[in-house]
Amino acid sequence: MADKVDKEQQKKIAFPMYARYNLALKYFIEAGMEQKYIMQPQMTRKTMDIGTQHSPDTVCTPFKTTLGSMIEALECGANTLVMVGGPCRLEYYGELQERILRDLGYQFDFINLADNADGKVSGYVKLLRRINPKMHPTKILSGLRDGVKMIEYIDEAEREYYKNCGFEQTKGAYKRAINQFWNDLEKAKTKADIETCHHKVKEAFHGIPLKKEERLRVGVIGEYYTVQDSFSNLDLEQKLADMGVEVHRWMNFTNRNVHYSGEKNLNVRIRDLCQYEMGPTSTANIWCARDYAERGFDGLVHVKSAGCTPEIDIMPVLQNIGADYKIPILYLTYDSQTSDTGLMTRLEAFYDMLKMRKKVIR
Amino acid sequence: MNHLAKKLMTGSKDRKPVIGLPRALLYERYRVLWRSFFQELGAEVVISPPTTLETMERGTAIAIDEMCLSSKIFFGHVDKLIGKCDYILVPRISNFGVRRFMCTKFEGLYDVCRNIYRESDQKFLTYNVDVQHGIEEDDAFVATAAELGYARREARQAYKKAKKAESESWRKQVKKQEELYKKDGLKIMIASHSYVVSDPYIGKPITDFLEGAGVTVLRADITDRKDALKWSARFSPTMRWEISREITGGLRQNRFKVDGIILLSVFPCGPDAMVNEMLIRRNDGMPILNLMLDGQSGMAGVETRLESFVDILRLKRGEL
Repeated sequence: MADKVDKEQQKKIAFPMYARYNLALKYFIEAGMEQKYIMQPQMTRKTMDIGTQHSPDTVCTPFKTTLGSMIEALECGANTLVMVGGPCRLEYYGELQERILRDLGYQFDFINLADNADGKVSGYVKLLRRINPKMHPTKILSGLRDGVKMIEYIDEAEREYYKNCGFEQTKGAYKRAINQFWNDLEKAKTKADIETCHHKVKEAFHGIPLKKEERLRVGVIGEYYTVQDSFSNLDLEQKLADMGVEVHRWMNFTNRNVHYSGEKNLNVRIRDLCQYEMGPTSTANIWCARDYAERGFDGLVHVKSAGCTPEIDIMPVLQNIGADYKIPILYLTYDSQTSDTGLMTRLEAFYDMLKMRKKVIR
Repeated sequence: MNHLAKKLMTGSKDRKPVIGLPRALLYERYRVLWRSFFQELGAEVVISPPTTLETMERGTAIAIDEMCLSSKIFFGHVDKLIGKCDYILVPRISNFGVRRFMCTKFEGLYDVCRNIYRESDQKFLTYNVDVQHGIEEDDAFVATAAELGYARREARQAYKKAKKAESESWRKQVKKQEELYKKDGLKIMIASHSYVVSDPYIGKPITDFLEGAGVTVLRADITDRKDALKWSARFSPTMRWEISREITGGLRQNRFKVDGIILLSVFPCGPDAMVNEMLIRRNDGMPILNLMLDGQSGMAGVETRLESFVDILRLKRGEL
C-alpha cells in the first residue's frame, strides 16, 4: 500500500521541447534531482496546431509551440511541468500557459521559474527544490553543473555539424555521427558518460573526409528560440548546409547564457550603431552580424518568429550593416502558417544570388 | 568639458535649443513632464500636429512592416518634425525596477530612430531610464540637460518643478475620472494604452462614437498608479510591463463600477496579446469586448461592433 501511494506521488517532470537541450534537462532531473523525467515526442505539425488552437492570435510562435509541447508532455504522463522566465515576453509565458492548461482541464503541478523576480540563485534553488524537497542544494548545483557541461558539448557538436556537413564526401556520414551522439547522450548517467560521448563524437567528426573547394559562408542570426530550434525554423540550417553552404550560428545557450560577456563588452564594437541595449538578444545579434560581415561572410539570414518586437527593432540596424558592408541579408519571419516549400523557394533564390554574386565580385 | 565651455564653443547662449516632441507613444504619458522640464530650462519646444491619415501612411512607409500600428504612427510624427527642430526627443526607458519594465519597443526606439534617419542631419535627444542598472528618472533628465549644456543644478531644479507639475496634473485627471464613476447611465471602461485610446486618429473616434451614443467612457489607466501596481500584482504576479500593470490594476480595482469593458489594442501589440488573453480568461462575468485596431481607415466595422456591444449592455440593464 505504501508503495502504491509513493508511486502516485512520484513526480514526473517535463519541460517543453527546446532544440536538443531536453537531453541535458533529462540528465539534470534524473542524475541531479533523482526524479523521473518524461521526454515527450519531438515537435511536429500537430504540436503546432494544438498550441495555436489554444493560444492568443498575436502572441509569438514559440508560445504556441511550447504550449503544444506541454500538452503532449501531459498526455505522455508527466505530472509536473517546469517553465522558465526570460527577459522578454517569455517572462509571462509560464503564468499564461498554466492558466490556459488549467482552463482546458489538465491537472498538474507547475514550477514557474519566472516566479523568482529578482533572478538570485538562491531563489532558483528554492524553486528547484520543489522538484525533490529531499535533495541537498549542493547536489542540485553539482547536477546543474554537469547539465550545463552537457549543453556546452551539444552546442559544440551542432556548431561543428552545420559548419561541415555540407562538404562530406560520403553522404550521411555526419548525420550518422551526430545521431549516435544524441543516442549516447540520452543514455548518459554520470559525468564520465557525458565526457565519453563528447570524445566519441569529436573523433567521429574528425574521421569524416571533407571536400571544401568552393564554399559559401552564411551566418544565421536572430530570435533566441526560433533560431536554435530546428523544428521552429523548419530545419533552416540543414537546408542551407545541404546546398553546400558553411553555416555559422553564434546564438546558442552556451554563448548567450553560460559564457555571455554581457551587454557592456559586446556593445563596444557596435556603439556607432546602437548606443543602448535594444532588447534581450539585440546587442548580441547586432554584434554578431557585424562580426560576420567583417569576417567576409557571403550572406546573413535573420530569423525571427512573427511579432518578436526586439528582433523587429534591430532590422533597421541590420539594414545599415548590410549597406555598410555590402552583405546580403535574408529576413525570415516564422509563424504557424509558414510552409516548407515557401522557405525552400526563398532559400534557393538566396543561394543562387550569393553564388552569382561571388563569381562577379571575385 | 564643463557646460560653460560647451556653451561658449557652440554659442548656444543666445539661441535657445529647439526640442521636437513627437505627439505619439509616450507623449500622452509624459507631455506635462517634458514640456515643463524644457520650458523651465529655457528651451523651446515644438510638437508635431495631431495624427491624421497622412501621418499614419507616412509612418507606415518609414517603419518596418511588422512593427505595431502605434510605432508606425510615431514614425509619421517624427517625420513631421525632421528639419523643424534641433533635437527630436525619443526617450529610452527600459524599466523602473523589478517587474516594472516598459515594452521592449521603448528600450530600442531611440536607436531605431537613429538608424532609420542615419543619412539625415537630424539629431535625436534621449534620456535613459534603467533603474535595474541604477539610472533613475531624475538622473536621466539631468544627464540629458547637461548634454545640452545646462548646469546640473539648474536641471535638477527644473526636473523637480516639472515632476511636481506632472503629479498635480495627474491628480486632477484621476479626480475628474472618479467623478465620472459617480454618474448615472451606461458606463464603459476602456482598457488601453494611453497612446492608443487618446490618439486623435485611431482612438478618439471610438470614444467619440461611444459618447455620442450616450455612454460615459472611463479609462482604466487613469487611476492611482501605486494602487494599480498592487492590484495587478495580486491579479497576475509575473506580469512584467509597467503600463500593462497600471491598466490591469485600474481595471481590477474599478471593474464593478461600470457596465462593460472594452479591451482596445493595436495590431500587433506584444504585451496586450498576452495580457488581454489573461484578462479575458480571468474575467469574472463582466461583459467584455476585445477590439483590435489595424490601421484600416474605414470605421464601419468598428462601429457595428461597438453598437452591438452597447445594445447588449442596455438590454442587460433593461433599458432596451
